[in-house]
Amino acid sequence: MQDDNDNKNAVLVMSKADAFAEAGKTAVLQNIHGTLQFLQRFPPFNQMENAHLAFLVEQCQLRFYGPGDSILKPSGGPVEHFYIVKQGRVVGERPESAQNTFEITTGECFPLAALLGERATRTEHKAAEDTFCLQLNKPAFIKLFALSSPFRDFALRGVSSLLDQVNQQVQQKAVETLGTQYSLNTRLGELAMRHPVMCNPDTPLREAVTLMHEQQVGSIVIVDEHKAPLGIFTLRDLRQVVADGTGDFSQAIEGHMTQAPFSLTPDHSAFDAAIAMTERHIAHVCLVKDQRLCGVVSERDLFSLQRVDLVHLARTIRNAPRVENLVAIRGEIGQLVERMLAHGASSTQITHIITLLNDHTVCRVIELTLAEKGDPGVPFSWLCFGSEGRREQTLYTDQDNGILFEAKDAAQAAEIRIRLLPLAQQINQSLALCGFSLCKGNIMAGNPELCLSRAEWARRFAAFIREATPENLLGSSIYFDLRVVWGDEQGCEQLRQGILDQVEDNRLFQRMLAENALRQRPPVGRFRDFVLTRKGSEKATLDLKVQGLTPFVDGARLLALANGIHVNNTLERLRQLVVKEVIEPLDGAAYEEAYHFIQQTRMQQHQLQTRENQPYSNRVDPDSLNHLDRRILRESLRQAQRLQSSLTLRYQL
Amino acid sequence: MSLFGWLRAAKPGLGAAQQRRLEQLPKPAALGEGSLRNQRWVVVDLETSGLNLNRDQVLSIGAVVIEDGAVDFSQLFERTLHRAETKLSPSVLIHGLGPSAIAAGSDPVEALLDFMEFVGDSPLLAFHAPFDQHMLCRALKDSLGYRLAHSFLDVADIAPLLCPEAHIREAGLDDWINHFNLQVGERHHASADALATAELMLILLSRARQQHIDSPQALQERLSQWKRRKQAPSF
Repeated sequence: MQDDNDNKNAVLVMSKADAFAEAGKTAVLQNIHGTLQFLQRFPPFNQMENAHLAFLVEQCQLRFYGPGDSILKPSGGPVEHFYIVKQGRVVGERPESAQNTFEITTGECFPLAALLGERATRTEHKAAEDTFCLQLNKPAFIKLFALSSPFRDFALRGVSSLLDQVNQQVQQKAVETLGTQYSLNTRLGELAMRHPVMCNPDTPLREAVTLMHEQQVGSIVIVDEHKAPLGIFTLRDLRQVVADGTGDFSQAIEGHMTQAPFSLTPDHSAFDAAIAMTERHIAHVCLVKDQRLCGVVSERDLFSLQRVDLVHLARTIRNAPRVENLVAIRGEIGQLVERMLAHGASSTQITHIITLLNDHTVCRVIELTLAEKGDPGVPFSWLCFGSEGRREQTLYTDQDNGILFEAKDAAQAAEIRIRLLPLAQQINQSLALCGFSLCKGNIMAGNPELCLSRAEWARRFAAFIREATPENLLGSSIYFDLRVVWGDEQGCEQLRQGILDQVEDNRLFQRMLAENALRQRPPVGRFRDFVLTRKGSEKATLDLKVQGLTPFVDGARLLALANGIHVNNTLERLRQLVVKEVIEPLDGAAYEEAYHFIQQTRMQQHQLQTRENQPYSNRVDPDSLNHLDRRILRESLRQAQRLQSSLTLRYQL
Repeated sequence: MSLFGWLRAAKPGLGAAQQRRLEQLPKPAALGEGSLRNQRWVVVDLETSGLNLNRDQVLSIGAVVIEDGAVDFSQLFERTLHRAETKLSPSVLIHGLGPSAIAAGSDPVEALLDFMEFVGDSPLLAFHAPFDQHMLCRALKDSLGYRLAHSFLDVADIAPLLCPEAHIREAGLDDWINHFNLQVGERHHASADALATAELMLILLSRARQQHIDSPQALQERLSQWKRRKQAPSF
């Protein structure tokens, strides 16, 4: 009886206890919940499942570190904990130098590499101010690593995985505005959905055109018995045939086709095709695999979603009858860039396309001017310098150009100059109409000092290298990125070789360039997120171009010149420096990503300014960026800082 | 035997199992000379129906543990107490515990037993500790017939003792939170307030180490000296 009662009571107590335990559990979640909400503001935690995140928080300890307190050190043995900064700032110190190598702030975590590598940390982690860290023990970290794929991805790839997230963000926006998933990185194989329309070389013209008409396509590919493409016949060619009035449609198509059509493989990207079409003024690209035709991509396939298309634009520029037409087309380039950004094109792709279209415009202006003023009767090359020379132009760009010609001696050079100058000045003025603002420093071909024979240029460049005055250093940073836009390229290559030979031998000049490259310090402070400049009552901002990109551009130029690298483009230079083992592959990749990201941020900024009718500026207020962008921008600027410290070391500055 | 009989008579609400649990509660340990870091502390915060020490009731208990120099998220305590007879009073605006939350709360006997088991023999910390100490004492006596003898240190005293440079007089928890720029969640929730107090205490423990206060006992002694000196002018 007594036992029965006790049992009953026990059951009652149990169920009651369970209910209370349950209530207790929800209540305990209150503090867990607060921490959970805090973590959900930061990647990768914002992508993790709630259950996994709750597991993380429940296993955590909250620790406090006063300024200067050591959190982890190399002598501490294999790392046993994973840390998330809840509040405050942690800095890394290498044992050999007292310099801070990195900063970790609220919502960020450490030390992933050491934890995954089951080793001690290489850097001492110290609190820089009053700092709270959530500390997770290693078994829990391992469990989380196994459970949560966003967490695993982040742990393995660190900040790089964040860059992917940014790209996803950009594309996400594109999908939102354009309503479809489309990217310039799409494989061509996926774009060419239809079976290609083809025929033999001896097919009569009429039959081929009928085939095109039936299949509703703009082109037919002529193939041999193994289906290897021999030629292509397009509606444009048909127009030509009709206009010529030869009119015999029973002839074999062979006689009217464009021979050896341009081809790519199905694994090339839509961007590759767009560039090829723009460069070559073609509207169709054959897709060839194992020497067999497997598809055709037309500009319509590439840009079916866009009202302004690249190839059409390039062709319109090259065929513009007057300068006024070119002026009108400039606006369309802006729209194109906007669309490409929206389509998730990278900043490198966009600068490449802008450079391409700008080159077309410059060429057309020169051709139109020659047609108007008459040929001067002397061959010359149109040079460009600076960002144009490096193929890194954005929409807003100054003219930096010059003329190179061949002359026997000084007298002949002077005589040719007199003939070319009026023409050059006219071209400068026309380019200004087309949106290339006149250069304030008068670095323009119409300036007699920049319309020089090869010998004169060579003398001038040699002086830059010999006498390192501030003006000459500045000059070298502009002129040494020279490139031919129009005309023969050989003279320019000889000049470049001369520069490379002289710089390679001149350690002093390299040192001066290195000092010059250190002038612009990336605005990452030791004590704050960003070191911002405030002008009057304006909001505090940082300059993406001068403070963000210039350190990379200057650093890459110096190392390229010193190591005999011929290319101008900053990213190309970095890649070749890796090939030549001047910089470590990991460093090169990090610099590239960082440069890329800063440029991308700058362009998005420009687009935003255009849309809001604001004056264009390179200054950005980091607070206006979302958390992810802000964090990556800081990381990117830190890479610029690293590049500069490597120069300091290399040239013992 | 007769003692238990007396207890049972005085507290008809206590079941046999509860009685056993009550008997098994560990005795409080005195603040020792061991290292400050190794000491386990329980930081507690109470929400009450009001500020009247004799009439008002404990409505909820939030507690976190500082052990090995860190707040351990796997040791968090929170209970809302079921109070049948609570009248709606203006304090509901502060603690936000409405009648429905109170009605859904735990049996006070169970909750208080849970809490004391959670505390174990560890010393307690609270901000404005005398209030929490008094309310908790009363609740334990009323519901369990238990006499609370644990050490109770006041973080509101420890803070100015270790941070004389702060120059905050009669500072509340919010003042210290602002002073150290602590990022805290929802205030006036027993659990969140306990965590905020614990974070403040982590900073203070770090200060204590810097000032060579190495044991809990030393901390307690310094605290008594400081309080005596503070009261001295009035004599």
